[in-house]
Amino acid sequence: MTDTDYTPLPVAPDSHKDTETERYHTFVNLALILAAITGIELVLVYMPFHPIFIFTSLLALSLFKFVAVVAWFMHLIYDKLILTLAFGTGMVIATGTFVALGFLLSSNWVDVDAITQF
Amino acid sequence: MSDTEHQEDGHGSLVINNKKLLMWLFLGSDCMFFGTLISTHLIYRKLYPESYDPLLVFDLELTSFSTFILLMSSFLMALAVSAMHKGELKSFRRNTIGVIFFGLIFLACQVYEFAHFTNEGLTLSTNTFGSTFYMMTGTHGVHVAIGVFWLICLYFYSYTGKMNAHESAIDVEVAGLYWHFVDIVWIIIFTAVYLIEYIPGLH
Repeated sequence: MTDTDYTPLPVAPDSHKDTETERYHTFVNLALILAAITGIELVLVYMPFHPIFIFTSLLALSLFKFVAVVAWFMHLIYDKLILTLAFGTGMVIATGTFVALGFLLSSNWVDVDAITQF
Repeated sequence: MSDTEHQEDGHGSLVINNKKLLMWLFLGSDCMFFGTLISTHLIYRKLYPESYDPLLVFDLELTSFSTFILLMSSFLMALAVSAMHKGELKSFRRNTIGVIFFGLIFLACQVYEFAHFTNEGLTLSTNTFGSTFYMMTGTHGVHVAIGVFWLICLYFYSYTGKMNAHESAIDVEVAGLYWHFVDIVWIIIFTAVYLIEYIPGLH
């Protein structure tokens, strides 16, 4: 496979190229931010802070990473609202399932010894 | 004029591309799937905190490296999609190869991690921790492997000369959505399964 096989694609309009160039800078900045946050998360668990503070910080940082990737890398902020709703519905059900199971199967409600014996 | 033609620039039309809509719906359903797997792991971890100490086998440096690799692959995937929208086939190929390479590194790290855990005595049937951990991370690994295979197919397809700016940009974008999803699932797993275990006094 050489460059002679290369078939140039139809040229995109200039305005579209400008938009993509603008997004390129956004992607670079976001990648740097995500890498930095991952580094912060790694350091945070070894810091002598209160466990609740570390837990909350980790939760907030990972949520930020999640939203940032969905919004910019996955283009959701540039796309139609219905796509956000399609994905958001799944997210809401997933989160709801987690919360509901968390409450239903919390150690206060479940007799762990009885289950273990069984 | 078909909806695909309306969607020429991938973003600016009134009509939503069917492939893209279907992929978003699939990702929404996959969210529920992974939500259940992660919930199960965390709930069993809470119910049986003494069943296993994961710090005996976890290697946070390796997992952080895997996370970093997957994040960077997501970045390259975004560049590959952008290149396709601009009609730059060479740039698309370069970035896609990068994504494939990073994806393979991630899989290699996971295989190494699983082998290490098994050698340490943690298998799928050892205890509830092993069952839920392998099920969750294994399912994620399968998703990564499918993504790598998909991207390899797209890469070689780009040499057939059949790619065109309309259809192919959407096809690459849909593959990109899948890849980014695999990345965001790992973002959650990394925090909820690995990092939380290192917080002293939380359990």
